[in-house]
Amino acid sequence: MIREALPSATAKPTRIDGRRVRSARTKQLIIEAYLSLLRERPKIPTAATIAERAGYSVRSVFERFPDLHDLRVAATDYALTQGTAQVTARDFSGDRLTRLKSHVETRSWICEQWLPLWRALNANQGDSAELKSRILLIRQAILKRVELIYEPELSTLDETERRQTLIAIESLIDFESWARMREYNGLSFAEACQVWIHAIDRLLPPTPVS
Amino acid sequence: MSRADASLDRPYRVDGRRLRSERTKQLIIEAYLALAQENSPQVPTAAEIAHRAGYSVRSVFERFPDIHSLQVAATDYALVQVAALAPARDGDGDRETRIRTQVETRGQSCERWLRLWRSLIVNQGDSAELRQRVVLSRERVVARLEFMYAPELSTLADTERRHVLIVLEALTDVESWARMREFFGLSFEEACVAWRQAIDRLLPPTPSTPAVAVHATGQPA
Repeated sequence: MIREALPSATAKPTRIDGRRVRSARTKQLIIEAYLSLLRERPKIPTAATIAERAGYSVRSVFERFPDLHDLRVAATDYALTQGTAQVTARDFSGDRLTRLKSHVETRSWICEQWLPLWRALNANQGDSAELKSRILLIRQAILKRVELIYEPELSTLDETERRQTLIAIESLIDFESWARMREYNGLSFAEACQVWIHAIDRLLPPTPVS
Repeated sequence: MSRADASLDRPYRVDGRRLRSERTKQLIIEAYLALAQENSPQVPTAAEIAHRAGYSVRSVFERFPDIHSLQVAATDYALVQVAALAPARDGDGDRETRIRTQVETRGQSCERWLRLWRSLIVNQGDSAELRQRVVLSRERVVARLEFMYAPELSTLADTERRHVLIVLEALTDVESWARMREFFGLSFEEACVAWRQAIDRLLPPTPSTPAVAVHATGQPA
């Protein structure tokens, strides 16, 4: 019989380790509590407030994360995964205006959603190599996305000019640039998007005729 | 002779104690700024400030009730320095000259004040006084942009003009400068070139007849 020939391990039904699943779920809820607190108040949440929001004890928090720095790193990784999923779900093909709109809308939405975490990340990076490497990773991802979306236009420039254009666009679409438009200049989401679309359009060279 | 006349005849007396106290205050502020610059964004402790200034911790707290008051005083002092070291120049030059001058001046300011600026941003917390100074600093940058690019901006409608200023302010932000230098590894001159090129693209064409010159304060000259 074929079934008899199979190794015994494959015949065993996959057992879900309930304790492990619960622990992972607790971790997830603690990260989400940390993020929701950051969004509500621009202050770094304490272990007690995180525990209270997540519905666990402070001890539970420290059982999953040895210290708040570890929690920050885990929350950043969670945000990175979420942000990447949000960005890759979008279609960045099309004519110049379609690409501009799609890019700016996605980027703005990410700024809107992840600004508090970005600020906390920058404020707490201190000497942490883990947090610094994530900041770098985020910046590189933003830059790569710009290169990808505006490749037709950027391909017409020489190396130096291409780099300068990328730097200008990156400066423009920074988290804090978005924050200033919304918080300091009082622009609506749509108005702020329009400002970015017009500015990127001016910074880019003409689209080559294919 | 009236009392008022008598007081006018008296020789002017310098209050030595007051003068010394002002000098101590000044040295404490300078010590704070030096430490904040060196250890940015960490706020120096009272002990560190006292040690650097050459006074006791008690002397520090005699002049400033708490570290926050010292932070505010130091920020005011730094803002005066920023303005003094970056006067508006070439406001009446041609487009290229104005862009070059504005970028160089701004680049030098960013280079000089980056670490203190970071310290201010990170440590502003809930302080209304520090937040107000951050806003003031941004307003000054925008006022300078308005002054330097008045001819080009005068050709735009209000909303468009506002949007161009928002974009120019974002582009020439201190952290934008820092990224060019630290993340992209550009030299001072290369960073200036990147800004010059971007500003030139963002500004509308220069009108043939120059618009009315406007002071950095926003008032007509």
